Amino acid sequence: MENIYKPYLMNISDTIDEAPGVRTFRLNFLNEEEGKNFQFQAGQFALYSVFGYGESTFCIASSPTRKDYIECTFRQAGRVTNALRELNVGDTIGFRGPYGNVFPIEEWEGKNLVFIAGGIALPPLRCVIWNCLDLRDKYKNVTIVYGAKTVADLVYKNELKEWNARDDVNLVTTVDPGGETPDWTGKVGFVPTVVEETAPDSKDTIAIVCGPPIMIKFTLPVLEKLGFKQEKVYTTLENRMKCGLGKCGRCNIGCTYVCKEGPVFTAEEIGKMPDEF
Amino acid sequence: MEKTLKKENFNSLITGLKDKGYKTIAPKKDNNLVMLDEVQSADEIHLDHVQTNNSVKEFFLPKTEKILSYKIEKNKVSMEEPEGFAVKTVIFGSRPCDAASLPVMDKVFNWDCSDKFWVERREAITVVTIACDKCDSYCFCTSVNLAPDSKEGSDVLLTKISDDEYLVETVTEKGEGLIKELETVFSDPAGGTPERQIASVEKKFEIDKVKPWLDENFVNKVWAEFSTKCIGCGACTFVCPTCHCFDIVDECTMSKGDRVKNWDGCQFKMFTLHTSGHNPRSTQDQRWRQRIMHKFKYYVEKFDNILCVGCGRCSRVCPADMNISEMLEIIATEDNQKE
Repeated sequence: MENIYKPYLMNISDTIDEAPGVRTFRLNFLNEEEGKNFQFQAGQFALYSVFGYGESTFCIASSPTRKDYIECTFRQAGRVTNALRELNVGDTIGFRGPYGNVFPIEEWEGKNLVFIAGGIALPPLRCVIWNCLDLRDKYKNVTIVYGAKTVADLVYKNELKEWNARDDVNLVTTVDPGGETPDWTGKVGFVPTVVEETAPDSKDTIAIVCGPPIMIKFTLPVLEKLGFKQEKVYTTLENRMKCGLGKCGRCNIGCTYVCKEGPVFTAEEIGKMPDEF
Repeated sequence: MEKTLKKENFNSLITGLKDKGYKTIAPKKDNNLVMLDEVQSADEIHLDHVQTNNSVKEFFLPKTEKILSYKIEKNKVSMEEPEGFAVKTVIFGSRPCDAASLPVMDKVFNWDCSDKFWVERREAITVVTIACDKCDSYCFCTSVNLAPDSKEGSDVLLTKISDDEYLVETVTEKGEGLIKELETVFSDPAGGTPERQIASVEKKFEIDKVKPWLDENFVNKVWAEFSTKCIGCGACTFVCPTCHCFDIVDECTMSKGDRVKNWDGCQFKMFTLHTSGHNPRSTQDQRWRQRIMHKFKYYVEKFDNILCVGCGRCSRVCPADMNISEMLEIIATEDNQKE
């Protein structure tokens, strides 16, 4: 019988420093066969492990349309992410996944997309953003609203430049008041306010929101005001997890296991959950 | 298949099991405790108790168990899978409530994908239960649709029919196989209907009234009232035969180590703490609500089973004298009104 807790071994083939304390790893399967058979979809997550330190849960940050590798972006915060930070190109890590449900991007075809992210929550959306951009002709207008505390805290700076330069993407970046630099050309203000100012048309539009609980809390009412129906607003949750397989018993919100029934939920589904976020 | 077993034959039973290559677990006196533990001879077996202090859980889901080993050489890692963890074992003399926990837990460990550590141990272990001939005020099996002579989860059920004799009923094919393997130890029933000595466990609440109340009362002042005494020690979760939450951690030196699954519990603050510092269940009343909700609502909705067998261990062990059946009694008699 298969050991569901056994990870794949992955080689770190590249590292990129995104922001203070935030780094991206590009990972390749050590076993080519495993790499060939591996499939995932936008929105899924995994457990990444540093042998000797343990496992940590975060999303797969690269798009399934980019086939030869997986990328993850993590903030140095706890035991495992601090140990990850110590690793270099050529080192081996463990990877279990993909787990959880997916963004229903096929259902979104022919619609406008508005991505809204705050801080370190861009990585979970980056996966689905690139997935949709790689299939660009299937979607109408694409808007990305991204905010961070300070200019330095914005992640994927190169990609933000790339999105900004595209005429088929409307990128709005913002930093919290006081987080701007003299040469900052983006907006200054909190994400919910900037969403309200940007006022994306809700007609035929899907909104995908990810950020700290406080940002989500204040962004959802703005979207409602703009006419977004709750079932058209998606988010992805990240609760503490150990197994990722619906067994270890901690990631539930009421009856809902985030690892199995999530991490992707609509605002409508979240509205029905008990207040235990 | 029905047989009888004389107390004087316990010794041949244990020796027989040993000869057939079984490890035997049975209730054993350990100072003031009665613990399910490995026995070598029938003399060690202690049956004059209401309930063992530990449940059968640890033989299927050990307190700590290796799920992976690895070696680290420079930047290369090699992994090895644990083997030999499922040892052919007979648990002799555990209670019907403990046995009933096993099919309930099968559901979570086989949900969508199977945990081989649970599944293979379940296959390797045969459960020979002894029906309860006595109970105490903490027992409430009859309130959760079980009984002191329930057969759920047992492979063989023994019921006391006199001071020195038990009626032996096989429940599963596995149990029947075991009895056949040790045929000479058992006798054929004398005929007639022997008088079964079974405890009378008082029904404390109507379980059918619990979930409807829970459905409506995620927010209710009772959660704070129930949990004011709770010190968050988590002992209730560890002694519980159905609490199955676990943690996964690495234990290692610089060059080699094990990834292990350890018992964990919803009563600990760390259980749900995010790296960011945010905690969805930051207070004890939220954690206590989770415990009750998981057992009597969430598990029922997901797996169609109550995650409680009424063994009463959580209440016996609680240093703050919290009693789950008293709480369920309150819940079951509350007006089904949202506050």
